[in-house]
Amino acid sequence: MYLWKAWHDCRARVGLYIVATVTIAVLCGLGVIAQANSYHAFFMLHPYRPQAHAGFYNFSFEMDIPFWTLHGTILGWGATWNFANFPMFWEVFGFGSMAMLLAALSLGVSGVGKEYGAGTMNSVLTRPAPRWNFILTDWIVGLTGLVIILSGLAFPLLPFLYAIHAKGPGNILAGLPTLWVLGAAIYGLSHFTTLVTGSASKGLTLSAATLLTYSFLPAALHEWWHMDALLKATQWTMGAFDWDAWPLSPFNWGATIFWLVVAVGFLAASLAWITFHEV
Amino acid sequence: MNDLAIHTQGLAKYFGKTRAVDGLDLKVPRGAVYGFLGRNGAGKTTTVKTLLGLLRASGGSAQVLGYDTGRDLVAILERTGFVPENKTLFSTLTPAQIVRFNQGYFPKWSNELVARYADLFEVPMHTTFAKLSLGNKTKVCHLLALCQGADLLILDEPSIGLDPVITDLLLRVLVEDHVSEGKTVFLSSHQLGEVERIADWVGIIEKGKILLETRLEDIRQNYRLIRAAFETEVVISSPDLIAVQTSENFRSYLVTREAEEFAAMLRAKGMTILEILPVNLEEVFLGLTRKGVPCISGKPGTIAVPA
Repeated sequence: MYLWKAWHDCRARVGLYIVATVTIAVLCGLGVIAQANSYHAFFMLHPYRPQAHAGFYNFSFEMDIPFWTLHGTILGWGATWNFANFPMFWEVFGFGSMAMLLAALSLGVSGVGKEYGAGTMNSVLTRPAPRWNFILTDWIVGLTGLVIILSGLAFPLLPFLYAIHAKGPGNILAGLPTLWVLGAAIYGLSHFTTLVTGSASKGLTLSAATLLTYSFLPAALHEWWHMDALLKATQWTMGAFDWDAWPLSPFNWGATIFWLVVAVGFLAASLAWITFHEV
Repeated sequence: MNDLAIHTQGLAKYFGKTRAVDGLDLKVPRGAVYGFLGRNGAGKTTTVKTLLGLLRASGGSAQVLGYDTGRDLVAILERTGFVPENKTLFSTLTPAQIVRFNQGYFPKWSNELVARYADLFEVPMHTTFAKLSLGNKTKVCHLLALCQGADLLILDEPSIGLDPVITDLLLRVLVEDHVSEGKTVFLSSHQLGEVERIADWVGIIEKGKILLETRLEDIRQNYRLIRAAFETEVVISSPDLIAVQTSENFRSYLVTREAEEFAAMLRAKGMTILEILPVNLEEVFLGLTRKGVPCISGKPGTIAVPA
């Protein structure tokens, strides 16, 4: 069945990206420990060296949340400290955004649209199944792969977080849904463009061009013609992915829902295309 | 149950101003082998694609196995085996994997037939499709169509790349294993010899219109080529006359029946009958579709008589 073929076509890419995201996460986890050690070294020299070390263990330093809260102003941290605030935790999602972008584009172009260019669309569409079935199967397989890939960013961090703090990982997982949703939108873009152009390479090129336009056109309009409306709009849509603000900022429902609507829009466009397009 | 496996009425498919299929009327009886013939660009593949829902008809109607192509496509595809013209399947999969992909779609799929035909046609089941020769690619396409338990096989240029031994085997399999069980074979091909060998019916299409649809047996028994000599120009008109070829003072008439009566009419007009010959499918096809332009020698070619 097509489910088997869809998985067969993208499983190598899913495996590759899982390795990539887990590697990013492990490196960032190690980075967290290195940063914690450097902060520890800083406070060892500092007159406000902590006397109580409840809740921290396993490494050469011992700290606790009340200490960090108390001394937050030293490092310019005004908010209540959470271990997820280590810069490397933000960066894991910074790196993760790039991994998400590549994975979503790569999985999208491995959808049914590539069969046009390969000359095999006849063979696919003469299988006795409604045409929408092929699109939905692609999406199920692609998004499942994407969720697993992106989860590879966060879950490998958990042991590091538990390793340095007995109270657990904080809200590190809260960044995942936003990545999933943006990933779905980019997957939808590359899946649709591949379907329309009938070629994986053309679909990838068109998707990349679309993303670059989305990224740079508003800024260019702002710089060259002082038109701010589009820049403000795009900045609003990317608000959910402002990792510097996260995780202290509240979850950005508006932008997340916007990207969910974009993803559903691309899904609908792909369904319409395959239903009405002739081979 | 409808007696026709394929029935089109005024079927049309236009691409802009190009009329690829233009009011096509086809009647393919169930249980028959139907040879669907035509020159390049005549509209054969467009017709096949329209029957399978890959293209949407611009006009007319088409039923396959009693199902409407516009409404009941999944039911049609479930019962129809299709070998496409381009013989391209998924390049990264092996035939065994392509079988795995296909088998879930067809309730009557037979893995026993897969094993039998893979052995018979010598299909390399574990080599990726991209690495197969054209002949082996064609075999894989046939393997899939033959094993799905289809009531109708639509084969577009079925023998491309096949050696004579495999072609012979394939034609025997079609007749002995499928037609004998009441299944229908719709053969779109340029290989007139193969069609003539197994077909019961033929349809000849030109510029999207059907020129001739008849039993092959009718061609063998009734169609005749009448060669005659003339000294003065003679105009003949008859519903039985389907093609005329003129060369200097000789003229060949292709008639569908009553050749003796037609010859008597020529004699009555002062022509001398040289011979009356039975014809084969190729002569009928050429007579109907060859352009009425001078050949290389400068002599006039065949002129098809307007209906």
